[in-house]
This record gives sequence, C-alpha cells and structure tokens, in this order.
Amino acid sequence: MNVLRAWIEERLGLRAVTLFLEKKEVPRHKHTFLYYTGSSILLFLGIQIVTGVLLAFYYQPTLAEANASVVRIMTEMPLGWLVRSVHSWSATFMIALVFVHLLGIAFTKAYRKPREATWVTGVLLLGASLAFGFTGYLLPWDELSLAATKVGTNLPKALPVVGAWLTRVMRAGEDVTGDTVSRFFIFHVSVLPLAVMAFLGIHLFLVQRHGMSVPLEAERKGVKVPILPFWPNFAFREAGVWLVLLGLLMTIAVVAAPGIGPQADLMAPAPEGIKPEWYFLFMFQTLKLFPARVLGLNGELVAVLIMMAGMAALFLLPFIDNRPFARKGKVITVLAWAAFAYAVGMSIWSLL
Amino acid sequence: MKLPYSLFSRRAFLNSLIGGWLAALGAAFIGPLLKYIVPPTREPDQVSVPLADVKDMAPHTVKGFPWGNKPGLLKKTEEGDYIAFVGVCTHLDCNVKFVAEQRRFFCACHEGWYDENGLNVAGPPPAPLRRLAVSVEGEALIIKKQV
Repeated sequence: MNVLRAWIEERLGLRAVTLFLEKKEVPRHKHTFLYYTGSSILLFLGIQIVTGVLLAFYYQPTLAEANASVVRIMTEMPLGWLVRSVHSWSATFMIALVFVHLLGIAFTKAYRKPREATWVTGVLLLGASLAFGFTGYLLPWDELSLAATKVGTNLPKALPVVGAWLTRVMRAGEDVTGDTVSRFFIFHVSVLPLAVMAFLGIHLFLVQRHGMSVPLEAERKGVKVPILPFWPNFAFREAGVWLVLLGLLMTIAVVAAPGIGPQADLMAPAPEGIKPEWYFLFMFQTLKLFPARVLGLNGELVAVLIMMAGMAALFLLPFIDNRPFARKGKVITVLAWAAFAYAVGMSIWSLL
Repeated sequence: MKLPYSLFSRRAFLNSLIGGWLAALGAAFIGPLLKYIVPPTREPDQVSVPLADVKDMAPHTVKGFPWGNKPGLLKKTEEGDYIAFVGVCTHLDCNVKFVAEQRRFFCACHEGWYDENGLNVAGPPPAPLRRLAVSVEGEALIIKKQV
C-alpha cells in the first residue's frame, strides 16, 4: 500500500494538495453557516449531472418524440419517475441554494477586495444556473413549457439592433418549433455544462487562493476571528449538512414527483394560469404589470432594459460598492435589501 | 535615414504579426458561424382554406388555420365578410384564443385582451393583432400577408 502511495506521489505530487487542505482554516462566527451553501450547491450539481445523464439515455429532443419520451421515462423505465423527480427537485434545491449563497455573500459584503473576480464568476454561474432552468423547462414539451419558452425567448426582441437576431438564435428560427427543442437540449447538455465547468474551475480556485472571507466588522477592527480547521472538523460538519439535504431531497422527490402536461401544440392558445418556474416569478409579475407604453417608449423595452440594468448592477457590485465601510456602502446595503424585498414581494403577488 | 536603434524589437514585430494573423483568422471563422446558427425561416406568402370549410360559420365566430408555424384566426363579421389575424399576442408572442361569449381575444400568458377586430383593449399588449388579407378566389379563401 505504501509502495503504491509512494509510486503515485512520485508521479502526481498530490502532497501539495493534501498539505493545503490540512492547513486550510474556516473562520468561526455567527455567519459561518453561509460557508456550507457553496459545497451544498456542488452536491446538487453532482446530482444534476448524474440524473441528467440518466435522463438523456432515453430522452429524445425532437418535436414528435420529446413529450412522449418523457412520458416513457416516467411510466415505463424502471424508477424513471424517480430519476426525473430527483432531477427536477434537485434543480430547485440547487437554485434556491445559489440564491442563499449569493444573498449571504452580498449582505456580508464578502465580495470586497480582493474577491471581486470570485464574485464575478459567481454571477456568471448564477446566469448559467438560470439558463439551465430555462432550457430544461422546455424539454418535456408540454403546453406550459411551450408558452413559457415563447415568452422567455421573445424578451430580447425588444432590444435594439441585436434583439431580433438573438431571438432567432435562441429559437432556431422565427418561431418556437421542434428545432427549438433540439437547440435547447444541446444548450442544456453541452454548451452550459462546458461553460459551468470553466467558470466553476476559476471560482473554486479563487476561493482556495483567497481563503474564506472574514466578517466586515472583524476585518475593520482587525479582530482575530476564531477558526475551525477545515480538515476534519469543518469537512465532517459539511458531510452532516449534505446528509440532511439528501434526505430532504429524496423525501420530497418521492412524495411530490412532478407530472407532465399534454404535448405542446403550436397552434393551440396558451393555457390559462401559466406560470414560469418560481425563480422567474418576479420577472413574470413585472412583465404582467408593466404598461404597454412608458413615457412614449415601448413598455416591454423599458422592462427589459431595467432587468438588464439590474443584472449589470449585480455583476459589477464589488466595483460599485468599493467602499463597503463608508456611507456609500451602507446606502448600497439598503438598496440591496429593497431590491430583495421587491423580488420576494413580486413573487408572492404572482401567486395570489 | 538610418535610425541608431530599432523602433520595435524583433520579438514585438513577430508577436504583432502572428497575433494579428490569428485574430484575422478567428474573425474570418466567426462570420460564417454566426450565419450558420440562424436557420432560414420564411413565413408563408399565402395559404388557402377551402370555402366549404368556412361557409357555415356564424357571424362573430372564429376558426383557426395554420399560418406557417403560427396559428391563424379567421373571423366572420356581422356582414358576412372574413377577416384574418395572426393569432399571436403582440406582447410576448403567446398564442391567443377567442372568447366567444365576450367577443374578445384573450392571451392567457399576461392577461392581454383584444376586441373582436383585433384591437388591443386591455392588459400589456402594445399593438393590435396582426391582420392578414383575405380574398375569395373560386372555391377557396386565399389568405395573404397584408401589404
């Protein structure tokens, strides 16, 4: 055994990695629980990859077969209903944790110097996660997913110059058709996974390079924060969190397996009471309330521009909030809470 | 005139030469790629609906027909004429439906309403439903793009 270990060590030099992990420290304070969100996202990402590959064994991304193949997975394939249910619920868990991760970092201002690039790659990963959700929503090809995709892919059309072209690229043509299903599938299983691998690689590398951030107050006062060794103390705690989350996921997946609607019909009117996935509800409600014309401009264009400004502000937050200790930092905190309250409020309103 | 020293080094010259080369090559690939990812789609110039299919429609009723990949909606007016729309909401592209009791078109996605002539009357739609030109030719209704 030792001979084998020495043989591998000589060739790979993994000692550098284990030494690093032995010395890694996790600060201990009232927000330490936020450190668990990152690794929990990785847990659900892993589940998504495994169940996604399993679903792709039987799924067929064509106009004629998309809906029928999902029905077959759910009714004929052994435990197929469970695989799909876990994939669907794990997506929800993952996105929810991505939001908690993001909010935790935003409100503890952990993005401050020198962690700006970590934040930026994180926002790119958020975008990729939402794109995974959006493309995955179409694949069962039922009435709801058709209507949701028509709306989602129509949004960029309001933008000047590139808008119409972007919509055609997303839809693989002027309209949402069978070609859109094929295109969304390849985005879902190839383009986005490659993008996530790249961003996640940088993100994780930077997290290790900088170490865990300490609370703003402690940094300002120069207080020494008590620490917890990553190995084994923190890693074992993480394992406990994973176990609980896995138990929750499996329980929900078994008792609340998602159904599937009738096959999408390109000629049929949109079904009543359509709603997107919960994480798009605030945008959905905003679009519903936005008037057709605002100050003489196309209301849709205004809504899309506001959303894009919001995304840009989120992306550039570490550079906007470059003095987190000063008055400016406090103002930004208040604005961030207001934006958060808006998103939650709109989401709840859309459910009423 | 001979300069006593070179303005840029041999290394800088080669870097910009090869770098420029690679950039031009990359750009040359991007053009065709951008073209490839958008397939050609053309909406039909005209579709024909057999007159026999629509002759018995009552006034203020609507019948669907396929307008390319989109639903078309054919309506019979009080006077017995036919008017046609592309049955797609002008807000965000959802297919609309005709609510016969209210004689209005309804889009379920964001609750947009149009009157029976396709005029946007409530909710977020910014423009009326798109009209198509209808003419009777022999035993068929010919529905064309409106010019």
